[in-house]
Amino acid sequence: MTELRIAGGRVHDPANGVDGDVHDICIADGRIVDAVSPRAPRLDARGMVVMPGGVDIHSHVASGAVNIARRLLPEHHVGSPAPDLLDDAAIPRSGSGGIVPTTFTTGYRYAGLGYTTVFDAAVAPIMARSAHAQFDDTPIVDGGFFVLLGNDEYLLRLIDAGERERAREYVAWILGATGGYGIKLVNPGGVELWKRGARERTELDTPLGSSRVTPRTILETLTDAAIALGLPHAAHIHCNNLGVPGNADTTLGTMRALDGRRAHFTHLQFHSYARAPDGGWRSGARAIIEYVNAHSTITADVGQVMFGHAATLTADAPVEYLLHRSSGRKWANLDIELETGCGVVPHEYKDRNAVAALQWAIGLELFLLASDPWRVVLSTDHPNGGSFMSYPALIRLLMDRGYRDDQLKRVEPRLLAGSALSDGLEREYTMSEIAIVTRAAPARILGLRDKGHLGIGADADVTIYAANADRATMFSTPRYVVKRGELVVEEGELRRAPTGRRLHVRPAFDARITRDLAGYFDRFGTVRFANYPIGDLRDAPAPLAAPAGDR
Amino acid sequence: MTSTTAIDDVTCLGCGCACDDVRVVVEAGRIVGVQNACALGAGWFGDSEVPSRITVDGCDATLDDAIAAASTRLRAAARPLVYLGLSISCEAQRAGVAVADILRARVDSVTSATTLPLVLAAQERGFASSTLGEIRNRADVVVFWGVDVERRYPRFASRYVPEPIGTHVPDGRRGRRVIAIDVGAAQSTVADVDHRFTVPPAAELAVLTALQALARESSSIRAIPPDGDAPWPVARAIAAHLLSGRYVALVFDAEPDERAVRSPQRFDAILALSQALNERTRGAAVGLRAGGNRSGADSVFTAHTGFPVGVDFERGIPRFDPYGGSTRATDVALVIGDASLIPRPVADTLAGVQLVVIGPRASESPLGSATVTIDTGVAGIHSAGTAFRVDDVPLSLRAPLRDRLSAADVISSLARHVAMARRQTSRTERASAR
Repeated sequence: MTELRIAGGRVHDPANGVDGDVHDICIADGRIVDAVSPRAPRLDARGMVVMPGGVDIHSHVASGAVNIARRLLPEHHVGSPAPDLLDDAAIPRSGSGGIVPTTFTTGYRYAGLGYTTVFDAAVAPIMARSAHAQFDDTPIVDGGFFVLLGNDEYLLRLIDAGERERAREYVAWILGATGGYGIKLVNPGGVELWKRGARERTELDTPLGSSRVTPRTILETLTDAAIALGLPHAAHIHCNNLGVPGNADTTLGTMRALDGRRAHFTHLQFHSYARAPDGGWRSGARAIIEYVNAHSTITADVGQVMFGHAATLTADAPVEYLLHRSSGRKWANLDIELETGCGVVPHEYKDRNAVAALQWAIGLELFLLASDPWRVVLSTDHPNGGSFMSYPALIRLLMDRGYRDDQLKRVEPRLLAGSALSDGLEREYTMSEIAIVTRAAPARILGLRDKGHLGIGADADVTIYAANADRATMFSTPRYVVKRGELVVEEGELRRAPTGRRLHVRPAFDARITRDLAGYFDRFGTVRFANYPIGDLRDAPAPLAAPAGDR
Repeated sequence: MTSTTAIDDVTCLGCGCACDDVRVVVEAGRIVGVQNACALGAGWFGDSEVPSRITVDGCDATLDDAIAAASTRLRAAARPLVYLGLSISCEAQRAGVAVADILRARVDSVTSATTLPLVLAAQERGFASSTLGEIRNRADVVVFWGVDVERRYPRFASRYVPEPIGTHVPDGRRGRRVIAIDVGAAQSTVADVDHRFTVPPAAELAVLTALQALARESSSIRAIPPDGDAPWPVARAIAAHLLSGRYVALVFDAEPDERAVRSPQRFDAILALSQALNERTRGAAVGLRAGGNRSGADSVFTAHTGFPVGVDFERGIPRFDPYGGSTRATDVALVIGDASLIPRPVADTLAGVQLVVIGPRASESPLGSATVTIDTGVAGIHSAGTAFRVDDVPLSLRAPLRDRLSAADVISSLARHVAMARRQTSRTERASAR
C-alpha cells in the first residue's frame, strides 16, 4: 500500500468547510484516507498552503483544432523550446511551449502549475480519436472533453421533425461513441448558417431553413438532454454572437430562454459586450453577472483576457473569419462534415488597445461582481483569452487590489466608461475563494465527485504552495504536487509523469436510434457507421445521476 | 476444408482518400479478394503476404535480441535519424517520434519529399479547407485544378464529389457544376465535366493570383477591360463559375506529379485563393495526397514537437529543420514503415548508412546496409490502430489478419528500451561524478 502523510499544512478545502485550518492529509493508494500507518512517508508542509489539485473546466488542449493552431504557430514554438524536465519518468519527452504547447509539454506545465484535471471544451465528434490520442500523450492530468453538438445536422433534423426524445437518444449514443464527457454548444445554429454563407448575426429565433429549428430550440433540446440523461455536467454553452458589441442582449436572452434549467455558460467575458450609442463597444458585464447572481441554476466560467499573445481557436468559425478580416493575421478554417466548423487566428491582446483593455476589464468585473464563487469560476478559455500559464497572474489580479489598480492605470481607458472596474471595485478574493474558483467549484460543476476536495475517499490530487505575499509567484510555482497519491512535483521540480485517466460517460440509449443513424451514415456520411465509435476506453465511464423525467 | 471469411468496413490506405467501406475476403490466412476497392486499393491489400523475419547482421534473431541490438546501435550513433515511412499507423508514428526524442535524433517523414511546399505555405498563411464529407454534402461548384483524379484517387469522384448526393446537394451530380482546369500536361482527369479550361503552366501563378483578386473584387479589378491581356480572360471565365457557387470546392493535388511543376508560390496562391473565396461566398480548398497514412505523420509531428515535418532533437528540444531532416548526413538511421516505398532522395541519403529497419518487408529492404531488420505486418491489414484521411479525419484500422507483429508494438518496445538505457547511462554518469 502506497501511503503519504502531508503534515502540518494550512488546508484550504472549501468543499468540506475547511478554511486554512492546520491539519494532516493522509493518502493511501491514490485516495484520501482518514489515517495512515506511522511508517508512512511524511511530507513536511508546515507553513505551506494545501489545496486540492486544480481543475480546469474549459481549455483547449487536445483536439483537431488545437493541432491546427499548433501547426499555424511555428514562430511561437521556435521561441519557446521545452526540454524534457524529467529524470524519472518512463519516457521523458521534450516539446515546444508558446501559447499552444505540444501535448507532453501541456501535461507537464499544467502539473507544474498544480492542475491535475483538464477538460478540452470543443471536440468535433468525428475527430474524437485525435482528441483521445492527444490526451494519451498529455501526461499527469486526468482529461476529458465536451462534444460539439450545437450545429450537428442529424440533431437539427430531429429537432425539425419535433423528435426531441430521439434527439436525447442520439446525444446518448454520440457521447458513448466518442468517449466524450459532456455536451458542448458553440454558437448554436450559427456555425451551420456560416457554412451556408451567412455573415450576419445569429439571433435566438433566426430560423435554419425551418422555423422549428432555431438557436433557441437547439439550446432547449440539448440542455434538456443533459438533464434527462443525468450527465454529470450540464450543457456547456458558448452563446451566439461571440465578440460582437451588443451581444450581452443575446447572452441574457439565452439565459432567459433556458430559465430554470441547469446550464453552464462558458467564457462569459466574450459574451458581455454592450453597444454604445455610436454602435461601438462598452461593458455589459453588470447586467450579465447580476442575472447570473440571481439564478442559481446557472453556472459560468469567465474566459478572462490576459495581455500578451493568444491563439483564438474555436468551432465558432465565423468569428475567426471576422477576426482575420479585422486583424489581417493568418487564418485557418476547417468545415467539418455534418457536425461543426473550426477556425484559428493568432491574436495579441495589447494593454494600449482599447478593445483589449475593455475585454480585460469586463472579465475582472464579472469576477469581482459575482456573488457566488461556486457558480462563477476561473478560465482564460486557454489559449483564446491567454495561456493557462497566466492563471497565477490572474489570481494575483483577483487577490491584490493594489496590483490590480496599478494595472488598470496602464491600460487604454477610452472604452472603460461605464465599467464597474473603473469606478473602483474593492473586492479581493480570499485564499478560500481562490480554492473555490480554481478547483472546488469547477469539480462540483463538472459533477466530479472525487475531485476538487480533500474529503475521505477523494482522489489524492493535492497541490502544496509555499505561502508568498506575491500571489502570482505563489501560484506559479507549487512546492509539491501529488497526483493520485504520487508525488509528481517535488521541491518545485517536475519529477514524475504518470499517465492520467480519461473522464467520459457512456449513457444508455434506445437501440432504435442506431438503425436510423446507420441509414443516415449510408446516405451522407463518409465514415462507415460501424467505424465511427472509438471503442472501449481503458478507464471506466463516470457514473450518471439517477434517471430523470420519463426515462 | 478451408473456411472463407469476409470482413466488412475495412479501411484502405491505397491513397489518401482512405475509403473505409472495403470488404476483404480471407481464406487460409490470406486475402483472396477485396470488394469496393479501386485498382490502387486492390494493389494495396494485395494477397497480404509479407515476410516475417527478424535479423541482426543478416542472421535470424529473436525479437528481444533485435530490439536490444537496435537500441544499442541507435544509441551509439553520433547523428541518428528516425525516418517515418509508409503503411504504419499513427500509434507507430507516435512511438517513432518518441524514439527520436529520446535518442536526440533527427526525425522526418515522407512529407518532406512529397508536399513540403504546401505544408510550409499553410504554416505561414493558414488555409480555408474542409473535410471531404463537407464538400460531398455541400459543394455546388467543384473545381478540379490539374489533378489526375482517375489515376491517383480513383474513388474520389464517386465517394466525395461530384457524384454522391449530399445533405445540401440532394440531386448529387445534377446539383453541382463541375469545372476542370488543365495546367499544361497536368489534366484534370474527371469524366462528365461541365466546363474545362486550359492554363499554360507558365501562367498558372498569374491566373491563381488574378482569381484571388477577382474573388476579393477590389474596384481596380473592375476597371480592367474584359478583353484585357492574359491572364484576365481565362481568370474571369473561371471566376464567373467560382463566384456563382454557394459553396465552392477547389480540389488540387498536394503532392508532386511528374506532369507539372509545383512551386511553393503555387501552393501559397492556392491557399490564398481558398481564403479569398470566402469573401463573397463559401469555399474550401482540398489538397489530395497518396496513401499509407501520410497526413497522420504530420499530425503526430505537430502534436509532439509543434512542427509538422523535419525536426532535429539534437539539443534536447525540437528544432524545426524542414529542408534538412532526412537528406543531411547521418551514421545510423531507424527506418519505420515499408522500406520499399521510401522516396528516392531519402533512399540515396541512406545508401551506405547503418540501418535499423522496422516495418512491412523490412527483411527485403532495398535500402543500403540494414544491420537490424524486424518484419512487421501492414497497418490496416495485419494490425489495428488509427490512420488519418488526407483531410485529417482519423479513421480506425481493422486488421483482417493478425498473424504478424504490429509495428506500433515493436517501436513502443524500442522506445522503452532506449529510454531505460538512457536512464541507466545517466545514473552511471552521475554516480561516477560523485
